Amino acid sequence: MAAATSGHDDRKRNVRRTALWLGLVAVAFYLGFIAMGVLRSVH
Amino acid sequence: MTTTSSIAHHQPADPVREHHEDELHDDHGPEKGWRRWVFATNHKDIGTMYLLFSLLMFFIGGTMAMVIRAELFKPGLQLVDPMFFNSMTSMHALIMIFGAVMPAFVGLANWMIPLQVGAPDMALPRMNNFSFWILPFAFTLLLGTLFVPGGAPAGGWTMYPPLVLQTGNAFPMLIFAVHLMGASSIMGAINVIVTIMNMRAPGMSLLKMPMFVWSWLITAYLLIAVMPVLAGAVTMLLTDHYFKTTFFEAAGGGDPVMFQHIFWFFGHPEVYIMILPSFGIVSEIIPTFSRKKLFGYDSMVYAIASIAFLSFIVWAHHMFTVGMPLAGQLFFMLATMLIAVPTGVKVFNWTATMFKGSLSFEPPMLFALSFLFLFTIGGFSGLMLAIVPADFQYHDTYFVVAHFHYVLVPGAVFGIMAGVYYWLPKWTGHMYDMKLAKWHFWLSTIFVNVLFFPQHFLGLAGMPRRIPDYNTQFADWNMVSSIGAFGFGLSQLLFAYLIFSSIRGRANASDKVWDDATPHGLEWTLSSPPPYHSFETAPELK
Repeated sequence: MAAATSGHDDRKRNVRRTALWLGLVAVAFYLGFIAMGVLRSVH
Repeated sequence: MTTTSSIAHHQPADPVREHHEDELHDDHGPEKGWRRWVFATNHKDIGTMYLLFSLLMFFIGGTMAMVIRAELFKPGLQLVDPMFFNSMTSMHALIMIFGAVMPAFVGLANWMIPLQVGAPDMALPRMNNFSFWILPFAFTLLLGTLFVPGGAPAGGWTMYPPLVLQTGNAFPMLIFAVHLMGASSIMGAINVIVTIMNMRAPGMSLLKMPMFVWSWLITAYLLIAVMPVLAGAVTMLLTDHYFKTTFFEAAGGGDPVMFQHIFWFFGHPEVYIMILPSFGIVSEIIPTFSRKKLFGYDSMVYAIASIAFLSFIVWAHHMFTVGMPLAGQLFFMLATMLIAVPTGVKVFNWTATMFKGSLSFEPPMLFALSFLFLFTIGGFSGLMLAIVPADFQYHDTYFVVAHFHYVLVPGAVFGIMAGVYYWLPKWTGHMYDMKLAKWHFWLSTIFVNVLFFPQHFLGLAGMPRRIPDYNTQFADWNMVSSIGAFGFGLSQLLFAYLIFSSIRGRANASDKVWDDATPHGLEWTLSSPPPYHSFETAPELK
C-alpha cells in the first residue's frame, strides 16, 4: 500500500513538474520575443 | 496491442484508489444539469463541449464564407458594403482557425488521448475546464466586434501593421480575444503533453503509442513554442496603439516588416498545428479499413517530427515579396521544399498500408481517402508557391487562396470529419446512418473541388485576394466557385444532423464498433459509450 501511494505521489509530482516546465517555456517565448522587439527598436 | 485484463468495468481492490477515493469520484456518475458542464472536469464532457463549440463556430465561420462567395458570385454585385466584405474575410479566417479547427482537434484530443493511452482522465482536469471556458468569452468578444463603431477587424487575420492600427473600437477587443485564444491553446497543449508523458499505461513506451497520440504530442510542443509568440506580437501591437511604443512604426525607429517575421514565425507552425492531428487520425483509420498494420510506423513518427522541426525554419516563404537578401530567399525556398520529403514519406506509407489490403469504404475511410488525394493537391500547389520567382507572380492572388483552402478544408477539416465518423459511435454508443454519411461524403468531396479548384485558374489569371469586386474576365470561374461554396455549405447540415441523431440514439454500436474491420488500440476495449470514469485501473500492455 505504501509503495502504491508513493507511486501515486510520484506521478503527481511529475505531472506538476512537467506542467511547470512547459509553462516556463511558454512564458520564455512570450517575453523573449517582446525583448527581441525592444532590442531591435533600441539599435 | 493487447491488454492483460478486461478494463472497462472491472475495479479490483486498489490501495491507490482507496487512498485517493475523494479525488477519483468513482462512486458516482456525472452531475445533473448545467453543473455537469460548467464545472466539468471529466475529459469526455470537456471533449464534447470542445467539439460542439467547434461545430457552432464552423457554421458561423461558414456563414461568413457564404457572404464572401455571394458577393463574388458576379462582378458588379454590391450585396454588402466593401468594408464589411473585408471584415468577413478577416473574421472568417480567425473564426475557422481559432474557433473551429483548433478546438475540434483539442476536443478530439480530450476524448481520445486518455482512452488511447489508458489513462483515467487528462492530467490536469481543472485547467482543462478553464482552457475550454475561456473560449466562449474569447469568441463572444471577437464576434462582438461586428457591433462596435468602426466595425469588425478588416485588415486580414494576419493583423499586419500599420493597416490593423486603423481598426476602430474593435482593436482592443481583437487583441484581447487573441490573447484569450492563445492562453486557452497553451493550457490545452500543456495538458496534452503532461498527460502523454506521465499517464500512459504500463508497457506503453513512446514507440507503442497510437499515431493520433504521437501527432498530438508533437502538435502540443508546436503550440507551446508558437502561441506565446503570437501573444507577444499582438501585445506589441497593443502597446504601439495605446502606449506610444514604436515596435512596428518606422517613424519611431520600429519596423513593420518585423511584425510579419514574428507573425509568420507563429503562422507557419500554426499551419502544421492544424494538419498534424489530421495525419494522426488518417493513420488510425487507413489501417483499420485496410485490415493491415500501418506501414512504416517508426518512419511515420519521425516524419511528423521532421515536419514539425522544418515548420520553424520556413516562415519567410510567406513574405518573399516584401524583400530579403538572395541568400534568405534561397534558404527559405529550399527549406520549404524539404518539407515535401517527410510529407512524401507519409503519403507513401498510407498508400503502402492500403496496398494489397482488404479495403472497405465506410465513411471514415472515404474521408481519409479524400484527405489523401486532396491534401496532396494542396501540398503540390504549396511547392509551386515555394519557388521564389513563381511566388512573385502568385503572391496575394486566388492561387494562394486555393492552395491553403485545399490544405485546410479537405486536409484539416476532412481529417476532423473522418475522426468524428470513426469515433462517434464509440462516444455515443449509437451508430449513425451510414448511407446518409456517404451522401455527406460525396456531396462534400464534389462541392469542395467545385469551390476551390477554379480558384487556381483565377489566381493564375491574376485575380487578387481580399477584393469585393473584380474584372469581368474572372466572372465565369467565380460563379462556379460560388455555386460550389453554397453546395458545400448546405452539405454540412447533413453532418450536423448525423451527429445529433447519433447522440439521440439509433442502432446500438458494439464495443469494437467496426466489427468487420481491424481497429487497434485501447479505446476499442472499452464499452460503447465508455464508462464515465474509464481506466481507473491502468491496463497493462504486453
